[in-house]
Amino acid sequence: MPFEIGIMTFGELTDDQATGAPPSPRRRVRETIEQAQVADQAGLDVFGVGEHHRTDFVGSAPAILLAAAAEKTKKIRLTSSVTVLGSEDPVRVWEQFATIDLLSAGRAEIIAGRGSYTESFPLFGYDLKDYAELFREKLDLLLKIRGQNPLTWQGRFRAPLVEADIAPRADGGTIPIWVGVGGSPASAVSTGRLGLPMALALLLGPMTLHQETVELYRSAAAEAGHDAGALPISINAHGFVARTSQGARDTMYPYFAKGMMDNNHQRGRGFRMPRAAFDAQSSPRAGLLVGSPQEIIDKLLGYHELYGLDRAIIQMGFGGVPQKDHLEAIELLATDVAPVVRREVALRQRSVA
Amino acid sequence: MTIVAQDHGTGPITRIPASRLRVVVVNGSPSRPSKTMGLVDVVLDNLKDMLPIEVSRVDVYRLGAGFTGAIEREDVTPEVEEAIRLAEDADLLIAAAPVFRGSYPGMFKHFFDLVEQYALANKPVLLAATGGGDHHALVLEHAMRPLFAFFQALTIPVAFFASAGDFDGTTLLNPRVHGRIEVGLTDVADLLRARATGARSSTGPDIGE
Repeated sequence: MPFEIGIMTFGELTDDQATGAPPSPRRRVRETIEQAQVADQAGLDVFGVGEHHRTDFVGSAPAILLAAAAEKTKKIRLTSSVTVLGSEDPVRVWEQFATIDLLSAGRAEIIAGRGSYTESFPLFGYDLKDYAELFREKLDLLLKIRGQNPLTWQGRFRAPLVEADIAPRADGGTIPIWVGVGGSPASAVSTGRLGLPMALALLLGPMTLHQETVELYRSAAAEAGHDAGALPISINAHGFVARTSQGARDTMYPYFAKGMMDNNHQRGRGFRMPRAAFDAQSSPRAGLLVGSPQEIIDKLLGYHELYGLDRAIIQMGFGGVPQKDHLEAIELLATDVAPVVRREVALRQRSVA
Repeated sequence: MTIVAQDHGTGPITRIPASRLRVVVVNGSPSRPSKTMGLVDVVLDNLKDMLPIEVSRVDVYRLGAGFTGAIEREDVTPEVEEAIRLAEDADLLIAAAPVFRGSYPGMFKHFFDLVEQYALANKPVLLAATGGGDHHALVLEHAMRPLFAFFQALTIPVAFFASAGDFDGTTLLNPRVHGRIEVGLTDVADLLRARATGARSSTGPDIGE
């Protein structure tokens, strides 16, 4: 597949650093759709919305935000990033994303994940004890729904389906389903065995962090008889692009640190990420996709070399980056980064073939 | 005495049927099913491909008040006495536990507190542990191995650890852990064959609960 570059958001409601007040949820949903619109117009390939069930996010129902985005966009692919499938009804997930697919003329996608946040399990009456089993069963059902209609199916966690007619069907017959993998060896192996595309979540750490994950994924896929080399891999990573290296870092840092403080806990409390640690994570061999367009190009090509990467979805507004800065970064990513990376990767693929 | 026996996987061959290795698993996990037993299942699967075995298991968390209330060996109920005896008489003891608060669970230690001081001397003991992350892996070397050093047991050199991320539910998926288990067991296959004292196996390997 040609290399794809996209953006994603959690639609988080982070307190404004000047006023201490969060933006209104109404404003935030509009901003979210505007991000999709700008990304589409500027020529990015993918727009993703994450699922979080808390009052400091507006993204508890990504399908609805994506449906709204479908109306405002023309070409960009619309994906969940991720759908917490273990606490969902796969029938409903399919119905929603097939509807988005119709609204958008075939642009809907699903990244099915176990979910790093677990709020949705008690909300929908699921026991976290069944975390792994729930995901396995629901992914199986979702894939079967995609594969055939009507469907007869039976599992542990919901009533059986007997010749069930599940509609609508997708616009183009099918919807891509990726599996979100945080990097645990078992997730990589089970995703590889199923021969499904893998969306790797990359937060912090060295660029090589997921090399083993990718190796396990590809070898499990090959062992199960899939064409391992052809399976697409995507990274979902944090980043920010600006005209200059320093400008990108200076803009991103305070918001990223705030986002980490609010969402990444130790001893049940957020912790302040020191600027030095942030700068280390931004260095050439570290995972954060922050910097000038050239830095981002180099890093994405580095990732492509390491993982055989096919797609990168960058989260650039984390921690409440002001909409104006966020939109500028989206445009820059689309105009100054994406075309070069697509071209370079295509050249590499041609020289291999 | 030569008897024609069906050996597993290798077709009919003429051989003296081997004694089964009497394996006893002491399970220190309260969960059912558990990752700890998921790890042990892989060990047992590998083991039974190498030699005939018979397996019993003691779940320390299911031994009840006759166990938890016992301070000395003489305090235990007959069923608990039987469970402890089983462990003391094993050809191979598999000591398996999850990491609780930085070490093996207290209930697991309580079981071994009731085991006779020299009952495990020179007995092959295989160590297995599971933890939330790789940073717990040294529980094998810093907590479990010293416990069996006290008993003067013959702990098997390679011990087995798996992290939560190596499992899908309770199924061990990480091929590296599988590989380590194979290596660790191959090291001691001859020793274990020599130590087998169970009933002779006429139909190849057997596995019981």
